[in-house]
Amino acid sequence: MKSSAETVSAALRASSRTAVKELLCDNLTLSLTDVLKLTRHLRGLGGEGKPLRLAILRTYSCELLAPHFEFHSLLAGLDMELHLAPFGVLYEEQGAGLEQFRPDVVLLFLRWEDLDPRLGLAPTRTPEPDFDGLKAAAVTKLEAIAIGLRRSVKGLIVLTLLPPLMQPGLGQHDAMSPGSEGSLRAGIKRALAARLRENLPSVLFDDLDELVAEVGRNAMFDRRLWYSSRSPFSVAGAQALARRLITYPVLLKTPRVKVIALDADNTLWGGVVGEEGLTGIALGPDFPGSAFVAFQKRLLDYQARGVLLALCTKNNPADVLEVLRKHPHQQLREQHFAGLRMNWASKIENLKALAAELNLGLDAFLFVDDSPHECALVKQQLPEVRVQQTPAAPEEIPACLERIPALEVISLTREDLERTAMYVQNRQRQESGGRSGDLGQYLQSLQMVMTVCWDEPSHMGRIAQLTQKTNQFNLTTRRYSDAEIQLMMGDADWLVADFALKDVFGESGIVGVALVKGLHSSLSEIDTFLMSCRVIGREAESAFLKAVLDELARRGAHRVRAEYLATSKNVLVQNFWPDHGFQALDGTHYELDLSNPVASSHCHIQVEIAGSPSRERPPGAASRPPAPGSPAEPGSVFTSMP
Amino acid sequence: MNLNRFETLRETMAVTFGIEAGRINANTTQNQVPEWDSIAHLNLMLALEDAFNLRLTVKEIQRLTSVPEILRHLDDTCSSK
Repeated sequence: MKSSAETVSAALRASSRTAVKELLCDNLTLSLTDVLKLTRHLRGLGGEGKPLRLAILRTYSCELLAPHFEFHSLLAGLDMELHLAPFGVLYEEQGAGLEQFRPDVVLLFLRWEDLDPRLGLAPTRTPEPDFDGLKAAAVTKLEAIAIGLRRSVKGLIVLTLLPPLMQPGLGQHDAMSPGSEGSLRAGIKRALAARLRENLPSVLFDDLDELVAEVGRNAMFDRRLWYSSRSPFSVAGAQALARRLITYPVLLKTPRVKVIALDADNTLWGGVVGEEGLTGIALGPDFPGSAFVAFQKRLLDYQARGVLLALCTKNNPADVLEVLRKHPHQQLREQHFAGLRMNWASKIENLKALAAELNLGLDAFLFVDDSPHECALVKQQLPEVRVQQTPAAPEEIPACLERIPALEVISLTREDLERTAMYVQNRQRQESGGRSGDLGQYLQSLQMVMTVCWDEPSHMGRIAQLTQKTNQFNLTTRRYSDAEIQLMMGDADWLVADFALKDVFGESGIVGVALVKGLHSSLSEIDTFLMSCRVIGREAESAFLKAVLDELARRGAHRVRAEYLATSKNVLVQNFWPDHGFQALDGTHYELDLSNPVASSHCHIQVEIAGSPSRERPPGAASRPPAPGSPAEPGSVFTSMP
Repeated sequence: MNLNRFETLRETMAVTFGIEAGRINANTTQNQVPEWDSIAHLNLMLALEDAFNLRLTVKEIQRLTSVPEILRHLDDTCSSK
């Protein structure tokens, strides 16, 4: 391993920002002189950096942080302009200076005692400690600061609280005391985060206590600087802090990692499965297998952040699949991978294929491999792919992705948590579709159940979203807002229909919409008919149309008019109306006489109408609309893929 | 005067203040260099600790505001260098 001095001098000779970054990617603590020299070198290399306007507001001295923020901005490919607000000045008094600066990100450095003077003392020394009152006061004060800032700032706001520089007033006994400082602060942090989530979505709290846990209190702070100039952080602490907080601008300004494409041999387990076999690879409770188990568990944590996992390995598929399916200590099974590439083609080809399959850009990929050759090849051939070579020492592997800001998340939704399941379901459908030659047999095997709802208010948001985002399977491409859909639902002349689809692989959520007007007359008009591309090819459109037409007939319609408005994207459905028995009136308009119902071929789908018992319903099947919190809840799941 | 030590000090000061080393001589004091403000002074002290492998107290940080003072302190504390 190279010494820090050698690494720094190599970085000072490097001729591009990327090269400097690669050299310094290790967890290296630099001296202040090195930071300043490297900053000057990076600046001199010239800029392809993205502009970043960073504002720092503080109630303690943060001047010594500036060089570290500049250095980490440059390393991350950002050209920072820093606005350091006058010491001690906060929100309202901030006035025009901050507003005019128009920051992308505002970092707030506050002390606990700014929230309430009692928080500057050990709570046990406060007479009659009123923890609930103190907690409420602190949260309200912080929220007021955030609201005040939000009025003049459009960018992301990140709140921090300076961790205690010393151990608790009660020392080791703190945790045992009813007046525990640690638990009081933890309670405030929890309540604050909840308040921000509810009321101020782009104001975040970053817990610097977590950083102190990583760096260590004595290494993080420099008490000489604190007592002499109210500047709390040591050089190492300031570097760690800047590295942590630069994550927010990075996430705003540069592409997030959405897929981790993993090599298998010597990355997910020790050894080569093709040579050593299922029982020969290192994966289990003993070293080095223990490190690989830990890495796999950590990869599942990344998946829980909404990042997809993909396998990209040069191997015989049977060898790898045997590990995925049968190895007792393997954590990542087939269902954890959104894509699998097990073959002897180049990793370049496989990464491109994965990008196409997952419908993501290569700049959303992080490639992880133990081989320096593969890593170098990917860097050279696919420069937009981020590359992490796993460390040679197995014990270093589990934490090797922790320093990658693009893997962090600013917010976490239900959709993020279930993203992999959605991709895996699609893959399984495609695979089983590919296996069985007969489409009907395949569709039958899916055991699809469609739930159709009429004018369901809780689906309003998702229905509006589908009208706004669906392009391919959309007959008229009319876009509607939430409010417009709400009006239609309340209007007796309109019918707002939607459907969700469930099959053996899982639930699709709400994926189809029909909007019909003219229910008061005998001629109804289908204003909108659309379906998410995720369920194309399963005859769901025919089943849904039949359900809608049956309902219109039930409500007294005799004839139905429909339109096909051609766009550059919806050629897929140009024959949809004639295919379903509608007569063309001209190139755009079609009509159907409801007294002659057409036979349709959707017999593979069991249709249930919400709110009315289905005649065909097998015992135990649900007929009500999906419960809140289920994947069909509007706006919660599957919102990114129309 | 230990010339190596002076050169190291001069380079450290130049990097920390972002100025030409030529502006610093053996008699330079803080009030002669506008870039040597209170923040730059703290940065210089932190950089010196690293460059000369020493640890300064707050009192020393407050006292070492000129090249002669710094050199004298280095002579006293790092005799081996």
